[in-house]
Amino acid sequence: MGLFGGGKQSGRERRAMKDHLVELDELRRKQLRDLGAMTVEMAEAGRFDRERLSEQAREVVGIDREADLIARGLEEGLTLEELEDLARSDDEPATDPGK
Amino acid sequence: MRKGALKKKQRQLEELHLDRREALGELVLGMFVQGSWDEAIMSRGAAEVREVAEELDALAAPPAPPVDSGEHDLAPTGEHTAEHSMPETGEHTGTHIIPGPGMPDTAEHTQEHAVPAATPAVTEPGPKKPEAGKTGSDSPAATAESAPPKAGTPKPDSGKPRTPKPDTGKESSAKAVAAAAAAASTPPAPGKPETPKPPASVAVEGKAEAEPQPKLSELDLLEEKIGKSESQARTAAEAAKASTAADSRTELSAITREIEADRTKLTSTLSTASARIADAEKRADAAEAKLARESAANREAAAGWVRSQAAEIEADAALAAEIAADPDGSPDSGADAGPRQAELEARIRTLETSLEAEKASKIEALTIAESRLKAIEESAREAEKRVEEAEASLSEAGTAPVPVEAAPGIVTEAEAREAAVVWLRGQISALRQEISKGEASDKKGGT
Repeated sequence: MGLFGGGKQSGRERRAMKDHLVELDELRRKQLRDLGAMTVEMAEAGRFDRERLSEQAREVVGIDREADLIARGLEEGLTLEELEDLARSDDEPATDPGK
Repeated sequence: MRKGALKKKQRQLEELHLDRREALGELVLGMFVQGSWDEAIMSRGAAEVREVAEELDALAAPPAPPVDSGEHDLAPTGEHTAEHSMPETGEHTGTHIIPGPGMPDTAEHTQEHAVPAATPAVTEPGPKKPEAGKTGSDSPAATAESAPPKAGTPKPDSGKPRTPKPDTGKESSAKAVAAAAAAASTPPAPGKPETPKPPASVAVEGKAEAEPQPKLSELDLLEEKIGKSESQARTAAEAAKASTAADSRTELSAITREIEADRTKLTSTLSTASARIADAEKRADAAEAKLARESAANREAAAGWVRSQAAEIEADAALAAEIAADPDGSPDSGADAGPRQAELEARIRTLETSLEAEKASKIEALTIAESRLKAIEESAREAEKRVEEAEASLSEAGTAPVPVEAAPGIVTEAEAREAAVVWLRGQISALRQEISKGEASDKKGGT
């Protein structure tokens, strides 16, 4: 069991979470393609701008984190409020491994 | 190639392009997450993506006109070859004799000949231009067939150079030219991807193409053509290999995602099942505890009922005993009926004992008093007899005077005895009254 579990997840919330997970997957793939295109452009230019690449990769990491949170909400049957609380509690300064 | 097949091929290439871009993005993301950047790997990935993009561009380019090779309508400025001064009729290729200042009068030549041999700047084979492929053809049919290039297939017939995509708006013509120039300027090293080159080099090469070309022998041309074909074949083979690898990676990542999803689902199912089992166990424990509590409560209630029944029976028995012991008494009820009854009985017994003793003492006293009264009455009768005898003796002696002094003495003794009898009689009557009173009070207390 998770941290919460006081309330009960409704079917509507579950559907919304699933839909959002699908959206996040699409968004992640789009961001990855953009990142790939950016890399190709930089390779053509002969210079890789790591700042820009890191910035784009950070967005993908943010999407991954959100997707993990939603997946956890689905797995543990959390309500949206509990999920919001969890997101706030996990909203600590992100480490930047790219630097 | 048929139009449908062409579209299918184009669609496949587009998907491959997207997959490769995504794979490259994943690669860069992994580098970002691990914090270790490798520009060589990024360059390789970018080259693979660009390769597919070029093939896609080549496939999307409109086919060349069937008869005219298209080189004749070039603008006066910009890139051109020696073919521009060819006659307007009929097919022609680089095999036509082009009178030029630096060109030999021999037969076939290519655009590479535009670079003068004396020019030291361009020593390697010159950049491939779209027209370059046509310069090596010997027949008009071959020229017409070379318009739609074979992209992404390792077939050796794709050795014909790809025509650069005209300005479609997606990317600038300069970029297309740069890509073509980069593709052409790559030395035919096997297994090595194409490397980008700055557009400036294209300009230089474009200028060089305008130079007069030296004539080469047919053997050299053939050799060069074979080399180009081999290079193209290698490129196509590498592209196919990369495509297969990308497909494998994509498929692998899809399988991995599926496995992850299944694992997540399984884990959630297991956790749900374990939660249900724990819940059921809790409920079973609660039910057992409830059953035990109810059993204990029932036993306690039964014991209480038995105790109350026993108390009632005892109370009934005590009441019955009380009623049996004292039929006239008031029945007591409750828990203090027993001790009170016993106390009362004891008190009654004490009272009866004392009453009996008093009665016995009074009877004894009465008996003593009666015997004493009898004795007194006997003595009184004897005294009266003596008095009568004395009076009779006195009457007989009547004639003789009786002394007066002796008479008072006799009277006084008789009077004393008479007074004692009277007193005793009074005492006996008082005792009899007392006894009768005590009996009357006993009778009253009993009722």
